[in-house]
Amino acid sequence: MSPADLATTSDTLAWLAVVSYVVAATLFGLEFAYRTRWFGVAGLTVTVAGLAANVGAAVTRGLAVGRVPWGNMYEFSIIVGIITVAGFLIWLSRRPDIRPLGVFVLLPAVLAMALGGLVFRVPAGPLVPALNSRWIVIHVAAAITGSSVLCLASVFSILYLVKERVERRQRPPAPPLVAGAARTADRVEVDQAVARHASVWSRLPSADTLDHLAYRTTAFGFPIWTFAIIAGAIWAQAAWGRYWGWDPKETWSFISWTVFAAYLHARATAGWRGRRAAWLSILGLATLLFNFYAVNTVIVGLHSYGGQ
Amino acid sequence: MAVELRPPAARPDGPSRRPGLGDTLRQAWREYRSMRTALVLLVVLAAASILGSLFPQEGLSPQRVDQYFADHPALAPVLERLGLFDVFGSAWYMAIYLALLGALVACLVPRSRALYRVLRSRPPRGGDLRRYRARASFTTPAAPEEAMAAARRVLGRHRYRLADHDGQLAAEKGFLREAASMLFHVSLLVLLVGLAYGKGYGYRGQAAIVEGETWANARVGYDSFSPGRFFGAGDLAPFQLRLDDFTNSFHPNNTPKEFASHLTALDLDGRQLQAQRVAPNRPMTVDGVRIFQSDYGYVPVVRVSDAKGRELLAPQEVLTLRDPASEWSTGAVKVTNATPQVGLELTMFTGLRTAPDCPGGAPFCNDPRLVRPVLVVLAYQGDLQADRAQSVFTLDRSRLRPLGDRPLLLVPGQSARLANGMTVSFTDLKQYSVLTLARDPGVPVVAVAAALLLAGLIPSLYVTRRRVWARAGPDGAGGTRVELAGLALQGKPAFEAELARLAEQVRRGTLEVPG
Repeated sequence: MSPADLATTSDTLAWLAVVSYVVAATLFGLEFAYRTRWFGVAGLTVTVAGLAANVGAAVTRGLAVGRVPWGNMYEFSIIVGIITVAGFLIWLSRRPDIRPLGVFVLLPAVLAMALGGLVFRVPAGPLVPALNSRWIVIHVAAAITGSSVLCLASVFSILYLVKERVERRQRPPAPPLVAGAARTADRVEVDQAVARHASVWSRLPSADTLDHLAYRTTAFGFPIWTFAIIAGAIWAQAAWGRYWGWDPKETWSFISWTVFAAYLHARATAGWRGRRAAWLSILGLATLLFNFYAVNTVIVGLHSYGGQ
Repeated sequence: MAVELRPPAARPDGPSRRPGLGDTLRQAWREYRSMRTALVLLVVLAAASILGSLFPQEGLSPQRVDQYFADHPALAPVLERLGLFDVFGSAWYMAIYLALLGALVACLVPRSRALYRVLRSRPPRGGDLRRYRARASFTTPAAPEEAMAAARRVLGRHRYRLADHDGQLAAEKGFLREAASMLFHVSLLVLLVGLAYGKGYGYRGQAAIVEGETWANARVGYDSFSPGRFFGAGDLAPFQLRLDDFTNSFHPNNTPKEFASHLTALDLDGRQLQAQRVAPNRPMTVDGVRIFQSDYGYVPVVRVSDAKGRELLAPQEVLTLRDPASEWSTGAVKVTNATPQVGLELTMFTGLRTAPDCPGGAPFCNDPRLVRPVLVVLAYQGDLQADRAQSVFTLDRSRLRPLGDRPLLLVPGQSARLANGMTVSFTDLKQYSVLTLARDPGVPVVAVAAALLLAGLIPSLYVTRRRVWARAGPDGAGGTRVELAGLALQGKPAFEAELARLAEQVRRGTLEVPG
């Protein structure tokens, strides 16, 4: 196949992957809401097919451009899909009970890919000479993996906040101080309303489990993110003659690093464990998203490769 | 634990003691080194860094700071006073990270003392094993001593430190977590020291060299130069650089593919030290100075003579500014010894193309490859105001009027006459290379610190601290009952299964014992 054919194949496969993930997310969502195993198994099948298309999209793109397929935001988004979904599947093989959470893992991946495809799509092409280094393989791969994993950790923190709220509301209410028919009736009505409202969310794993999950995921992503920053510094030293220059990209990756470091400390600090720590993780997510979407496109810096 | 920064209330009963200054200070110190302070300072540091990315920074893009001053004349001086155009060098930013580092040191000192104490002491006894949540037990035909020996072997194999407390075996592991965490934090300190050292004793500058020329590494040779606070002018390494050749190439879609300088480093006597091709991501190191390819441009050589053929301007290398999007360059020639003075605005095309060959119906366009170099000359006459500071790339046209009504188009080697009879010759075309030269003696320190930081980070997150106790006694039916109990400080959800596995290994160990 010629590079042009390969590029076209890559685009088709990328959209196929997006569609598969949307279908799979819907199926996982149905499993989550209705607890029907069949939906989950079907969702898993479609996810695997989508991942195959996703990997195919990256490989054909790489062949079409003759370099690693992560040189711009569009390609980055495709790899985010692979990392997130493959990571989820590997983890699922060790803990099959987390399958209904698939909807919360796939949706962010789909959003990232669709946004990449719709807004940042660029035709297959070569890179500027500054990116022509083997460090692009290491630094960008680590940055994609680290940020994907940390984003997932934040998704778990969001779910933790939801479930923690549900659990707090469902806690058996203190017995009324004065026994009275009217009060009891009120309370029953309120409890029923809460139970109806919370019916779907109460199916999430326990708040403790989600909190632990968020922590484990952060503990996995944080060293990768640290390594991505260090690898970036080594590359910057080779390319620009300084390992750190407070370029907006560097600044924001440092901000994310600081916020997730704060999260890890918060998990070990009385008064910060739980909800406050979860909010720090969400703050971290916001900084990661800002770094990828806003810094690449709006803020002028040495990393403004979004349009290339 | 969260500590309140409030003096304890005086107790009404018993002798009341007013909290002295010492108490308050001790309390404040304890608060300062608490995790909560570190946490708050981390978030404050992140918030402060955001400011540095929202406002243009002096160190990164001084032109954009100037632009900001032009756009917001009232606001900009206020922001400048607040240090918002140099956030990462400002006193308040420094105050935040020094406070954080101070808290870090204040926290590391007691932690290292505690770690040292724990490492020197034996694993403590467990007391009554029935009060632990994680427990496992089994019976075995082996004798109690053999069962304990098996437990010792199994726990030892899992790298537990062991201690015997009259019949009870105490085991402990996972100190690597604390040690690694301390390594991580100490590395962070060392990294900052290396960074500060490199910044203070290093420098960074840019220089432009024209093909064929030799450039001496001296302060005057730099177009921009930012030395560290402790960098002296005499600290510049004594060498020269010769640009033998500059090459660049483009992809079929006209985006740059590669550009490179073929450089020869010479000592001050002109003896060759080394020669290398310097390209993006391919720097060269001479005498501790790293030399990077930054940019490049074109240098048309222009000669101007008057109507009688007398030379007004000897062949001059005119440095032009390259527009990276179109690859054409602009520059200016100032003929100050003509009366009236003459200024030439130059536009250098690398490959001038006209209407039918250009995309989108443009009247002309430029091929970035050096295939058809054309110099377009627009002439002006009047007062160049050369005594005023001005850019070398442009003319100040406020006291100039056009000379002639059409531009001259010259190819290399060609001459043409201006409307006033003067002759402009485009004698030669060269390229120049912009190099960044930098010296940072802190790099090795920072590199080692970063490696240690990463090496410390992973165990500090993954090693888990555990204590396990084992006891064996007769079960009353001729066999031995072995009890295990444990305590996990981290990774609690997985610990009960882990303890069960340990117990199973010990049980099998008791059966393996011969006899």
